[in-house]
Amino acid sequence: MSEYAIIGKRMPRVDSRAKVMGKTKFTADLNLPNMLVGKIKRSPHAHARIIHNDTTKAKAPPGVMSVVTGKDTAGVKWGVFAYTRDQQFIQTDKARYIGDEVAGVAAIDEETALKALDLIEVEYEILPPVFDPMEAMTMETELIHTEFPNNINIHVNIDTGQVDENFAKAHYIREDTFVAPEESYFQAEPYAVVARFDSEDCLEIWCPNGGPHMKSKPLSNAFKIPLHRVKVRKIAIGGAFGGRSEICPADYICALLAKKTGRPVKIKFTREENTIATRQGHAMITTHRTGVDQEGRVLARETTCYMDGGAYSSTGPIATSVPFLSMEQAYRMGSVRYNGYRIYTNKPIRGMIRVHGRGFAAGLDTQLDMIAAHLNIDPVEMRLKNSRQQGEYTSTKSFVASCAMDETIHKAVAKSGFSEKFGNLPPFHGIGMGTNSVQTGFPMGIRGGSQAFIKFNEDGEATVMSGVVDNGQGNDNMVVQIAAEELGLLPEDIHLVSADTETTASDPGSYSQVSTFVGGQAVKIAAQNCRAKLFDVAAKVLKVEPSTLAAKNRLIFVKDTPEICIPIKKVVRISLLNFTSVNAEGGYWPRVDMKREWVSNPYGQMCEAFSFGTTIVEVKVNPATGQVTVLNATAAQDVGYALNPLVLEGQFEGSIAMGGQGGMLTEYHEWKEGRCLNPTMLDYKLPLACDMPPIHSIMVESIDPKGPYGAKEAAMSIAMSAAQAYAAAVSNAIGVYMDSFPLTPDKILAAIKAKENKEPE
Amino acid sequence: MRLPRFEYLGPKTLEGALDLMATHRDDAKILAGGTDLLVRMKKGLIRPKTIISLKALDELAYIKRDTRENRNNILIGGRTLIADIIASDLVQRKAPALSRACERIGAITLQHFVGTLAGNILQDNRCWHYNQSQFHRSGRGACHKDGGKICYARQDSDRCNSTCQSDGATALMALNASITLQRKGGRRRVDLADFYTNDGIAPHAIESHELLTQICIPIQGGQSAYKRLSYRSAIDYPLVCAGVLLIPSTASPTEISEARIVVGAMGRSPLYMAAASASLGGKKLDDTDAFQKAGKAAMDTAATFAVHNVGSTLEYRYAMVAEMVFQALTEAGEAARETGQKAANKGVQ
Ligand SMILES: Cc1cc2nc3c(=O)[nH]c(=O)nc-3n(C[C@H](O)[C@H](O)[C@H](O)COP(=O)(O)OP(=O)(O)OC[C@H]3O[C@@H](n4cnc5c(N)ncnc54)[C@H](O)[C@@H]3O)c2cc1C
Ligand code: SF4
Repeated sequence: MSEYAIIGKRMPRVDSRAKVMGKTKFTADLNLPNMLVGKIKRSPHAHARIIHNDTTKAKAPPGVMSVVTGKDTAGVKWGVFAYTRDQQFIQTDKARYIGDEVAGVAAIDEETALKALDLIEVEYEILPPVFDPMEAMTMETELIHTEFPNNINIHVNIDTGQVDENFAKAHYIREDTFVAPEESYFQAEPYAVVARFDSEDCLEIWCPNGGPHMKSKPLSNAFKIPLHRVKVRKIAIGGAFGGRSEICPADYICALLAKKTGRPVKIKFTREENTIATRQGHAMITTHRTGVDQEGRVLARETTCYMDGGAYSSTGPIATSVPFLSMEQAYRMGSVRYNGYRIYTNKPIRGMIRVHGRGFAAGLDTQLDMIAAHLNIDPVEMRLKNSRQQGEYTSTKSFVASCAMDETIHKAVAKSGFSEKFGNLPPFHGIGMGTNSVQTGFPMGIRGGSQAFIKFNEDGEATVMSGVVDNGQGNDNMVVQIAAEELGLLPEDIHLVSADTETTASDPGSYSQVSTFVGGQAVKIAAQNCRAKLFDVAAKVLKVEPSTLAAKNRLIFVKDTPEICIPIKKVVRISLLNFTSVNAEGGYWPRVDMKREWVSNPYGQMCEAFSFGTTIVEVKVNPATGQVTVLNATAAQDVGYALNPLVLEGQFEGSIAMGGQGGMLTEYHEWKEGRCLNPTMLDYKLPLACDMPPIHSIMVESIDPKGPYGAKEAAMSIAMSAAQAYAAAVSNAIGVYMDSFPLTPDKILAAIKAKENKEPE
Repeated sequence: MRLPRFEYLGPKTLEGALDLMATHRDDAKILAGGTDLLVRMKKGLIRPKTIISLKALDELAYIKRDTRENRNNILIGGRTLIADIIASDLVQRKAPALSRACERIGAITLQHFVGTLAGNILQDNRCWHYNQSQFHRSGRGACHKDGGKICYARQDSDRCNSTCQSDGATALMALNASITLQRKGGRRRVDLADFYTNDGIAPHAIESHELLTQICIPIQGGQSAYKRLSYRSAIDYPLVCAGVLLIPSTASPTEISEARIVVGAMGRSPLYMAAASASLGGKKLDDTDAFQKAGKAAMDTAATFAVHNVGSTLEYRYAMVAEMVFQALTEAGEAARETGQKAANKGVQ
């Protein structure tokens, strides 16, 4: 039993009741007085020069309040880094994918806005498009961005040295190539944004976001107004998965329309817009070359990956690195060379996603299984020989302070019966495993730390102000749990003010898996500081030393003699009557290597903690149809410390759905000349609840020395290792190592047939 | 996405509906559950001026057995909900292929609240180059079905190759069903097999002022089965489906006297497989080899119709025609043997 009162307990989330009752308000539900409907005109051409953009007719119909084009944007460009600033919010010269923004409209209602969109006359000169990254590098046709030769947007090169020497020493070397197309998030909530300029000319804006402070800065830059004038407001968010990490051109266009009209404007994306005009996950072609010694230990690895980045940079340098980093964290590699190329194509923009490189990761593990089979080593042994250990440095020089990778392997193996089943299952029945590791944070410079404030109200309840945002993963609950635990209150006594740039201090946001580790830590420290103030006052009243006190259940009491106690409410009131502050702040800045940079210097401490996870799945393949039935999934992750097992189970289950069941079996896009043929939930085959297997969740606790209560990233290692496990299990079932994902029935059936033809019975 | 404006008419009687249809003709569309119609309207694929709703026509919501004058039919009304068909014991016993097909249409919510079988038969053909938003269809030439002269699904095709993905129609055609089309002052009855135009743009041989008022399924004493394939277990149109009917011979009950094999989601209409069906005459009800051959024959025929416009790959869908037909025949054969056995046992007693 832990010594905590609230932390570590299966507490239902503070936000779930409102959500299941349908009472939660999302951005699309907001209705402000006098609000206009905004719509975006998008390019129907994949690559085209904009010759003329005439809005005269569009402005004419009654009810059309404003029409904006690239002329109104002063040419501002967006990019996560100074060297990737390549995307205008509204294009002036050229459209680079089907969906690129070319104009915006605000009107009194949707019908009028749509009419105005149709009346905007854009004259294009069609340019030859390119949709294949390999072709894009060699095409002689006009570059997508003239400043980037060969359409290569980003090149990440990592080299630890000694790679060729170690390959020379290897006992066995394999080189294999794995491919997987782009994928979509399908957040339950399609993107939406509401913006208005208030009477003081401050921009107020509501939209799904991966961090409000990540939105306010670019908006302040774009509108050339100080940061305090950009008020990103809190609103319920229906999923992000990396796809809400950046500013969206719609944010800017909506704000611009609000500015021009002096009225609030709402833009609501269609499901199709959410699919093609927010972000997608990268398509990748990955070649892993791995050399091992006789025992199966990896001596050297060389990985080359070509990523289809779509039309703009987005988080390119990060996205080009993370698939590799996850694997170098998970496995020791001796020496390693990585070349990641992100290539521009005339397709939708690719960004961050929960499963970084399903083909990259599944390929690496598939190859390990191939090597293990060649050396006659069992897959579990193969992983244990190469798994990351606590106290080591990763290949790119990050110290690993906590790591229970092996424990996740052992526990998942035991629970799933892997050792008894592997190799002993009937035909077309298979089992497979995957292991992975995810960063708890990225180096984020000035926005790497989080600060929280706590104010006590005279009724003994507390308000917590934190920049942490909840995208649906339960961050609001996490903050409440931590504050209640530290202050000795109950969760219902905590009032949360969060994810609002006016009232909360800077915070890194949720997209680098750092909300608990950094944001939660800041809240914890603030609460401890606040508690110390109360203890000082209480100690005087109770005539004891402050160090002898503890707080729980709305009481401050003496640890050894709990009968000596005083209600917190009373302490607050006494403090206020005695001119003593009962408010406090706290901040946390992870000690990362500030000199580490994604492209120019990809070495040094990446973040303070890493999570490690193992997933095992058991499948049956129907040899007549190639369809897969997943019998069960076992997911074990080193989460550091499980702050709320109930919430974590939800995250584990969602991870299996996204990384495995959907990501590895059915989800992919179909295209025709840059047009996405399946942008909707009907045609993009996300799994349904009834498609999901039974899931066993195992939380392994390594107690990270820096994490709050020992916690670190929780569940993304499952999403990624699920991809690997699904691939391994299907390969095991059909006796063919699969190298093209997702494993749709047509591919599986073809592989079974090819195998039958090769080995006649 | 937004519904365009339209005039809504809600006739209270069948007569009233037929009157309105006669007046508005091509300007109007019938609204049953709307799960096909409204989706197409939102995408701007059709823009009817008037919508005539069947909502009040409870007289068209029924499932009954007709045994008058030596007849033996199941009659289903033109506004009967899919959920009611699934729940019907009569359909379950006498036309299991239809039960199975209905269970897989969309999802429970769609079946329960709104979707009808008539609407299912009359839903428009589909194609992933066509069932898209107005934005998707802009910036490129319109295809045949969209009023243009190109086909994106089959290069250089002079006509539309859209796919009929109706589960209900595939099962019904296998069951030899016919439909009644009523208009002001008249009615006609058409075998479902003769109801298709072979034109992907307007696939059904129905006039704009005709209402589908009844579906008739003859009870023929055989066994039917239905198999379909999709990537998800619900909310997923079929990539391939097959409905079969096996009627054992009265003289030797373990032999097939008549077989009907219908393959869906592979062409502009459900495809009646004449040769494959005929090949089973005189075969045993458990002749696996014959079922496999029939499946292959159906695959070869279906392959000449299908285009790559509803998902997965063509090669896979071809292979699955053989598999679905085989599975359906096996199931129907088994069921027929079981009933034969039971009848024989009764005879002995
Ligand atoms: C998410 C989703 C999934 C789906 N999945 C499937 C599936 O798996 N399989 C499948 O077969 N279908 C599927 N459908 C299509 C559709 O929902 C069903 O075919 C349903 O049965 C249609 O019935 P309805 O009453 O809603 O038809 P409606 O949309 O009301 O009508 C369809 C057409 O028939 C006409 N019509 C309807 N009734 C009559 C009548 N009595 N006389 C004359 N004309 C009439 C209408 O004018 C319209 O043109 C799906 C639809 C959706 C939205
Ligand atoms: S088959 Fe061809 S003509 Fe018909 S809807 Fe599809 S693209 Fe259009």
